[in-house]
Amino acid sequence: MFIRTDDKITAAQTAVFLNNTLLGAGILTLPRSVSQTVKTPDAWISVLLGGVIVMLAVLVMVKISQQFPGQTVFQYAGRLTGRFIGGALSLLLILYFITIAGFEIRTLAEVTLFFLLEGTPIWAVILPFLWLSTYLVSGGINSIARVYTIVFPISIMILLISFLLSLRIFDIEHLRPVLGNGVAPVFAGLKSTVLIFTGCEVTMTLVAFMQDPKQAVKAILGGLAVLMGIYLLTVVIVIGGISIGSASTSTWPTIDLMRSFEVPGFFFERMEFPFMVIWLMQMFCNFSSFFFQASLGLSQIFKLKVHPIIYALVPLLFISAMVPKSLSDLFALGDAIGRMGVVLFLLVPVLLSIVWLIRAKGLKQHV
Amino acid sequence: MCRRILVLLSSLMILATQTSCWSSKEIEDLALYAGLALDTAELSPTEQKLEEQGSTYTKRNRITATVQVVPANSVGGIESTDGSVSPYMNVTGTGDSVLEIFRQYSILRERPIIGHHLKVIVVSSELLKQQSMNQLMDFVLRDNDIRPSTMVFISHGRAEETMISKQKGVIPAFHIRDMMRNQKRTSKVLAPVILSKLDSFMYSKRSYALQNLVTANGEVEFSGAGVIKGNTGHWVGALSQEDTECLSWLTNRGQSGVIKTYDWSNEPITYEVKSLKSKITAKVDGDHLSFDVKLTTEGRLSETWNEEEYPAATHLPQKAEKLFNKRLEQMMQSLFHKLQSDYKADAIGFSSMLKIQEPALWRKLEDHWDEVFSRTPIHLEVDLKITDFGSFTL
Repeated sequence: MFIRTDDKITAAQTAVFLNNTLLGAGILTLPRSVSQTVKTPDAWISVLLGGVIVMLAVLVMVKISQQFPGQTVFQYAGRLTGRFIGGALSLLLILYFITIAGFEIRTLAEVTLFFLLEGTPIWAVILPFLWLSTYLVSGGINSIARVYTIVFPISIMILLISFLLSLRIFDIEHLRPVLGNGVAPVFAGLKSTVLIFTGCEVTMTLVAFMQDPKQAVKAILGGLAVLMGIYLLTVVIVIGGISIGSASTSTWPTIDLMRSFEVPGFFFERMEFPFMVIWLMQMFCNFSSFFFQASLGLSQIFKLKVHPIIYALVPLLFISAMVPKSLSDLFALGDAIGRMGVVLFLLVPVLLSIVWLIRAKGLKQHV
Repeated sequence: MCRRILVLLSSLMILATQTSCWSSKEIEDLALYAGLALDTAELSPTEQKLEEQGSTYTKRNRITATVQVVPANSVGGIESTDGSVSPYMNVTGTGDSVLEIFRQYSILRERPIIGHHLKVIVVSSELLKQQSMNQLMDFVLRDNDIRPSTMVFISHGRAEETMISKQKGVIPAFHIRDMMRNQKRTSKVLAPVILSKLDSFMYSKRSYALQNLVTANGEVEFSGAGVIKGNTGHWVGALSQEDTECLSWLTNRGQSGVIKTYDWSNEPITYEVKSLKSKITAKVDGDHLSFDVKLTTEGRLSETWNEEEYPAATHLPQKAEKLFNKRLEQMMQSLFHKLQSDYKADAIGFSSMLKIQEPALWRKLEDHWDEVFSRTPIHLEVDLKITDFGSFTL
């Protein structure tokens, strides 16, 4: 394989990039959050519906980005709304990315400390990941995309094997009745299922890096469909395995599902360890994505070189990861990030699209 | 050149820091426990003497917890063949917090105990009259070492006695776990209830049955089941072996077992279940709720002590079918009677059928379901078919 230096990625790489940005800690906590809000076994319908809603939202982001080929949101926001407003919007977006990055790596550390490395200080878990990520991000989007294409198939394979083996405790009765309490619970669940797609704002920079931006809709929606399929499978398997009651009381329901069975004679008797180890890579990818986005944004707004910014962000990200004092703080932060995501969606892509429509179609200006 | 050496040296140094694990603990230095028994408080002789010397802490004696510590090498399946030393060691403590009792072992033994390999939890029915299941299981559900795949049992006598075996080289906790495999041979062994399932029972506040253990003479037997009432979490009564078998059949968790009855000449005649399906349907007629239970089973006439009439003789299958039919009905009615009138607890799970079939009605009855269940009529229909007579037709 030849090594590209032109900072462009293919459609397939875009889809994988999107998946590795969004598919992380959500899979460990989603069955709990959705069970708690839906309270009936219809949780999976909420996931489907949430996925469709997010797809529509992302479609808006792709469409507006396609109007400015080769430019990221940090660049075209300024062109559309003026430097001041555009800069402010971009800074909000960057703040948001830094918060998610901190959240992801903190979740990674919390899971590791609880199940794998009890007694290791938290900084000793976070720092190596942070340094490694710095190295990866400084390589630019091509290196990142290549790492993701290696990690993604491995983590999906382990996830599917774990789910397959968990079928021994799967009971379809746990998923019945369908719509027993009407559709109201399904809509209540949207609150938590839309949140698991937070971070899909990266679409607005990803399109700029695409070799062929015309394929953006196909690549991004395809990536989201895969993601939605994985989330749907997770919710069905976890609730079918340990039931809605157990899923809503457990802190990490997906890991508890893996801990609920043993496979004597198989290569691994306990699936939670290989699963968690692999999933750490996935969360590392999440973190790297947001790290990359934040550094890219800062360098584009202030027209600075990207490398010094990457190094300057390292301590900031560490602080961002250490801000939550406890696990409940962390989960509260997760919810806050979700709400921020909704607000940002209204502020950035929707607002920009409206401005673009007025200026380009209404006033016939050339932007 | 100098630069190259510097790079080499620093990479070697980094390598040296990479190969170890901060939190590693040698497995030989840990005491793995495979079984946990919870009993009503009763100080062991050692504890009594220790307390006489003033060795105690602030506590109320409410439970006695016994953990079965096994040597690290027996966990992987290789059990100690050396018969001279007991392959396990039971440690007992009394107090009112499971975790505190566990930590107390650390001032008694040299190795810290660790719960990764806990397989079996046995709770005595006596204790479950005093404390609720939710209280007792709270710690094991929260702990990060103990796996939700741990099975939970009830003991008729003291639970710590189930952790003792007379046979040399047998670890009782593993023995109990392995006996679950016999579920293939008899439906008197209930499907295992693991911690995550127990958690969902407790969350939905439904009543349930747990496999009962009886000990005699250093032997442990699976016998019947204990019923735990959902809204209180207390033990309300026991089910006999036949009741337990019926429970397995009704919940479609058992496909095996025998039905024995006495024929027209008062000789035993035995039917071996080859397949059994149960279908529970909720019937709502205005405000009136009832359940239809339909059992369909096929099997083999496997044994008869009646020497005069051979099984294949023309009228015998029909006659025998009728007898077995009646017997199965009797067994079922006895289970229904116990659960409805004596214990007022729906351990069979009619509630989940109602939840699926009539969700709107279920929401109305949810809060006082066990009460409603005890008044709900159950219509039973048995369809039993003898398909063959084994390899002995004449």
